[in-house]
Amino acid sequence: MIFINRLYKSITKHADFNAFCINDNFYTYTELARQVSKIRSVIINSIGDSEKLIGLVTNDDIETYAAIIALWLEGKAYVPVNPIAPIERNVQVFELTKIKYVIDSSEDSLYKEFKVIASKELPDVQIDLKPKEFDEEQFAYILFTSGTTGVPKGVPITFSNLNGLVTAIDSDSEFNLLSSDRCLQMFELTFDFSLVTYVLPLLSGSCIYTIPKDAIKYFYIFKLINKHKLTVLTMVPSIINYLKPYFSEIHAPEVRYCSFGGGALYSDIVSEWSNCIPNCQIFNYYGPTEYTVYSGYYAYQNSFAEKDYNGIISIGKPLTNVQYIVVDEKNIEVPCGVTGELCLGGAQLTPGYWMNQERNNQSFFEIDDMRYYKTGDLCFKDEEGDFMYVGRVDFQVKVRGYRVELAEIEFHAKSKSQKKANIVAVDIVNTLGNTELGLVIESEKFDTKEIFRYLKTKVPNYMIPTQVKFVKEFPHNINGKVDRKELRKLFSITN
Amino acid sequence: MNKEEILSKVKIAFVSVLEHDNFELTDETTASDVDGWESITHMIIIAEVEKSFSIKFKLMDLMNMNNIGDLINTIQSEM
Repeated sequence: MIFINRLYKSITKHADFNAFCINDNFYTYTELARQVSKIRSVIINSIGDSEKLIGLVTNDDIETYAAIIALWLEGKAYVPVNPIAPIERNVQVFELTKIKYVIDSSEDSLYKEFKVIASKELPDVQIDLKPKEFDEEQFAYILFTSGTTGVPKGVPITFSNLNGLVTAIDSDSEFNLLSSDRCLQMFELTFDFSLVTYVLPLLSGSCIYTIPKDAIKYFYIFKLINKHKLTVLTMVPSIINYLKPYFSEIHAPEVRYCSFGGGALYSDIVSEWSNCIPNCQIFNYYGPTEYTVYSGYYAYQNSFAEKDYNGIISIGKPLTNVQYIVVDEKNIEVPCGVTGELCLGGAQLTPGYWMNQERNNQSFFEIDDMRYYKTGDLCFKDEEGDFMYVGRVDFQVKVRGYRVELAEIEFHAKSKSQKKANIVAVDIVNTLGNTELGLVIESEKFDTKEIFRYLKTKVPNYMIPTQVKFVKEFPHNINGKVDRKELRKLFSITN
Repeated sequence: MNKEEILSKVKIAFVSVLEHDNFELTDETTASDVDGWESITHMIIIAEVEKSFSIKFKLMDLMNMNNIGDLINTIQSEM
């Protein structure tokens, strides 16, 4: 168990170093160890061995991070839910995974129908971080992403998958965290990108700086950069789109690494951003939740020596032991330069979607005993072996780094529309260059308050459309499908 | 321009961006008190406020803005 043992050793070795800065409070690795041990002791004493999946309410506090480590030391998986997401959706996630126990650091837990472990009020115990022996094929976490039928889709990741990730990052000489590093952790723990922003720093004894739930993220990030002189930034590209009007006020020579991921990275803005962080190596990481966060990256040099396609920076080469192939519609590999669907194989690949055989049959296939995942991303490989991102195969879009199936929004909006009108969700790009969602309704104008009130109980905030348009009749393309491109033109973005 | 006048102009900016007036603005009001006031709309509200007062905020000011009281103070100092 490579990575759990390393985690144990790192926490012990860096006892006096700061592990977290949460809401301007610092916590050392010893304090983290104390919290982990308290929660672990309750897990050992009250949760049976056969109970492997445990719910976790992801508050922004030391107890929530400690709970993850405590579960891992016991070979259990966390199933996170975001306290600001609709309770109905969160309960649905727990029901889908047949969760009995929920670890919750909230003062007053909303999950009374489950057995709640209130992690804030636990008695002190002796520090005990020695990992238990367990099978690496056990799940380490299950994350839920937007699903087309209105039911969220579960992606389980095993300890062996995480070992694969840590081993791949380790064997990469371009990215090495140090115990002196101060690292940004801007992600919700329900988002898989968070794994690299807390696991990797913990393995190196670095300090992790989180963002309060109610903060305006991009301003808070600047505040952290400015006040705490962060050295490692890991962000979704939309953050620099928001900060762009203020680039002239940002000068952060301490930043060593800046990694992007979770969406297309455009070369023009990166070139401007690189002036704000003059001593920094910029990486464009790529990888779906199904492949344990990262599968590869492109190291950005400068605006003169950079590779892009349609202005989108290359996603580079796969990490060590990761297999990339580009295939046509029949899953047959295509030559260099030809666009097809990118498929991934190797140690970091999920065993498959949670209880969803139909989806598994569609998304995974085998060539020569190697299992591959179809990413839904259209790419091609150039002569130097770098991969270029071209676009999506389907109707999945990314909003603030989160994967959103447009069909899921349409499903919920339609189910509450009394008019039974046709409704289409489209992705629109606002003046800042960030993706927003629009809703187009095929009907005379009517009051959509009820639809929105309902949507807010069903899907997270980032999936709520920001604009609505009514049309008499949807335009169709030559294939008879609703022409989403045409519908997108209805939205003039006001600013 | 006194504080009340600034506040009422700020409210107009909020209403035009959020498309509802189902909120009170006091010094202590934060984003969590107002429906729809979050990352995306915050940027648009800031742009709207800058336009209506003909001012330009500094990132340093925006970074330390935690509630409506901070916003009003910053507007006053910029005018």
